[in-house]
Amino acid sequence: MQSNRLGWILLAPTLVILFFFGVLPFIYVVYVSFHQWNPFAANPEMIFNGADNFRRIVFDAEFLNSVGVTVAFVFFAVLSELIVGYFLAQAFMKDFPGKAFFRTIHTLPLIMAPIIVGSVWKLMTTPSIGIIPHYLDEWFGITMNIGTSAPAAFATIVIMDVWHWTPLVTLTLIAALVSLPADPFEQAQIDGANSRQIFWHITLPMIMPAVVATVFIRLMDALRTVDEVWMLTGGGPGSATRFVGVHIFKEVFPKTNYGYGSTISVIVLYLTIVACWLLYVTMLAPRNTKED
Amino acid sequence: MSFALKFGASALAMSVAATAAFADDAFWKQAAEPYQGVTLRGVTESSPPSLYIREVLAPQFEELTGIRVDVETTSWDQMFDKAIKDMEAGTGIYDMVYIEQDIIYSYLARDFLTDLTQLMEDNPDLVAPTYSEDNFTTFADYFKNEEGHLFGVPMEAFIKVYLYRKDLFEDPDIQAAFKEKTGRDLVPAATHEEYSEIAQFFTDWGKENDMELWGTTAQAHTGHVASWYEYVESVAPTFGVYNWGINADNNYAASVENGGTMNSEEAKEALTWWLSMRDIAPPESVQSTWTEVGTTFGAGRAAQGLVYGENAGWIAADETKSLVVGKVGVALPPLADGVMDEVESGEGYIGYYDGGAFGLPSTSKQKEAAALFLQYIGQNEVQPEWAVAAPRVTNTATYDDPKVQDMNEELGGYYDMLKDKGYLFAGAPAYPFHAQVRETVAPTFYSILTGDLSVSDGLDQMAAEAEAVLTDLGYRN
Repeated sequence: MQSNRLGWILLAPTLVILFFFGVLPFIYVVYVSFHQWNPFAANPEMIFNGADNFRRIVFDAEFLNSVGVTVAFVFFAVLSELIVGYFLAQAFMKDFPGKAFFRTIHTLPLIMAPIIVGSVWKLMTTPSIGIIPHYLDEWFGITMNIGTSAPAAFATIVIMDVWHWTPLVTLTLIAALVSLPADPFEQAQIDGANSRQIFWHITLPMIMPAVVATVFIRLMDALRTVDEVWMLTGGGPGSATRFVGVHIFKEVFPKTNYGYGSTISVIVLYLTIVACWLLYVTMLAPRNTKED
Repeated sequence: MSFALKFGASALAMSVAATAAFADDAFWKQAAEPYQGVTLRGVTESSPPSLYIREVLAPQFEELTGIRVDVETTSWDQMFDKAIKDMEAGTGIYDMVYIEQDIIYSYLARDFLTDLTQLMEDNPDLVAPTYSEDNFTTFADYFKNEEGHLFGVPMEAFIKVYLYRKDLFEDPDIQAAFKEKTGRDLVPAATHEEYSEIAQFFTDWGKENDMELWGTTAQAHTGHVASWYEYVESVAPTFGVYNWGINADNNYAASVENGGTMNSEEAKEALTWWLSMRDIAPPESVQSTWTEVGTTFGAGRAAQGLVYGENAGWIAADETKSLVVGKVGVALPPLADGVMDEVESGEGYIGYYDGGAFGLPSTSKQKEAAALFLQYIGQNEVQPEWAVAAPRVTNTATYDDPKVQDMNEELGGYYDMLKDKGYLFAGAPAYPFHAQVRETVAPTFYSILTGDLSVSDGLDQMAAEAEAVLTDLGYRN
């Protein structure tokens, strides 16, 4: 009883902060999402409009396009980060000359603010001036212009995200790989299992919780990507990289469409929860059931 | 001279001036007496004029009056975000906010700002002997309401000019080649056809001579509103399409069908012409906002272009940033037939007159102290050094200062044009829904730029979208 009370006392500051800075704003956003509210409309007051905003969102081509682009981005970026991150983690598990140096270098992108990453990549990809289009043209005769080519802009953003966040995946997977017991691997080798069989039947199942946790983190991050894209393409060319985060930003800030913008935010939160739940159900739940 | 050096020199000069020339120090000390210990907070865009306020004028004012002034300089969108949220929520964090010319009507519609004229009338003891609204150029009119009351002290003002490379235009070899190719002399263009001819000539010249040179700039970003601004503010008016093609006197109609001009034949001709210029501009143009256009010109990559005056200053005079110092001339933008007649008769304008003012939010808790600071930065006495450090003129007397006249020479006569021809340019139309319409039509505009929509279909769609959002916002019946 005594320790319960002490526990709540110690937790209280966190819970209070969480309530005021997390729960309360969320409730307010939900409340606003049921209103028509633009402070620069002829009537700047909040007007309750029931589920109109939610009805509108279903037919909003710009929003649906931004969801589609975001889903594609999340798929390519997170999958690439997992694959590259796993190979890098395996590489860093082995000893080689300059390992400490390369491991340090490889984590540097992690400490850069997304807005800086966007700026740096903008400089590197500016048509005809940036180092990437320049050498692509000089060495391979390829013209790269992210201001006119939607695929080039999209691919550049995926690559930028992979460059920025793969180190996080690598570090998480290194931690998981280091903690694996040696016995199952030795037994598998004695039984004659090849490396592919060892990966699919021993390594992957054993690091699955770490993989899922990493995917959760990256999925949620990728779904709300704004800064880097804002700096690099501004959502263009056209709407090719207008991810849902950028779409919400444009709706809420420049357009001051607070009501509808809040509705989009609520829906995106809902979609994120559903995506994470699906991930959990398909990747972790079967394993837990088996263990039970 | 570098920007930092200019700042340093300005600060030194102003320090001397502050002790020697200001005979009215006693006024400031006396007027500030009740506000000792007060801290004023302002938010503004991180631009040269604003940095001058933060680095030079605010410390001077603090030393003179004992009133502390903290000026927060941030990005364009963050500045609006912070100011609007503060004024909307009524938190009163800021005592001064930067008001871009195009947002003033939205702020006035929401009663965000304090009526400075009224404040001065109500508090005659606060009025500095060196301050008068009459000192400002006519640009101050953009910050007045219908009764002529001022709601912001102008702090920067510039026009978007036709900048050209004097060294190239005056090169005998180039002149001869141009004459041979076109049959006319190489002089700044007066019409769109002439402009196109010059642009094509220099783009070809760059290719033939293996130079990184193109015939024109283009502020044609495919995902940033800068491109839309270039079209509606600087290109469409030169074809006779004004006020974004929205007819405020006719129920805010945008489509030709309803009485607007957003999708008129002139508008379609203007956009088609501009896209043809974009296609022969440097490749980075499709990723260029106003900043990158300045950088492109300053790097010597374009022979001519429409460039914001705030950038014209460093392009023409700052050797640490520009490769074309002393090689720049200014001219009026090229026009379609009849446009100048319309403008002279008061029906339109030929380009964009931009700038901003420092306003006093209605929610400020330190209005009187803030009013003192706003007067301080609005005095004639502080203007010349400010104009040299960060090219901008907001007070009529500034033009006559010898230092400013020297700067005018460096800028190829830019200040003369601002003074004598400024009346031909205009700021954004008086719409309280500026950003809302812009953001609604911009995605369609980008689709035109990427070729996903034709000019004709795209402008038709933009007109329909503009009318729809104006109906949603309650401005259009």
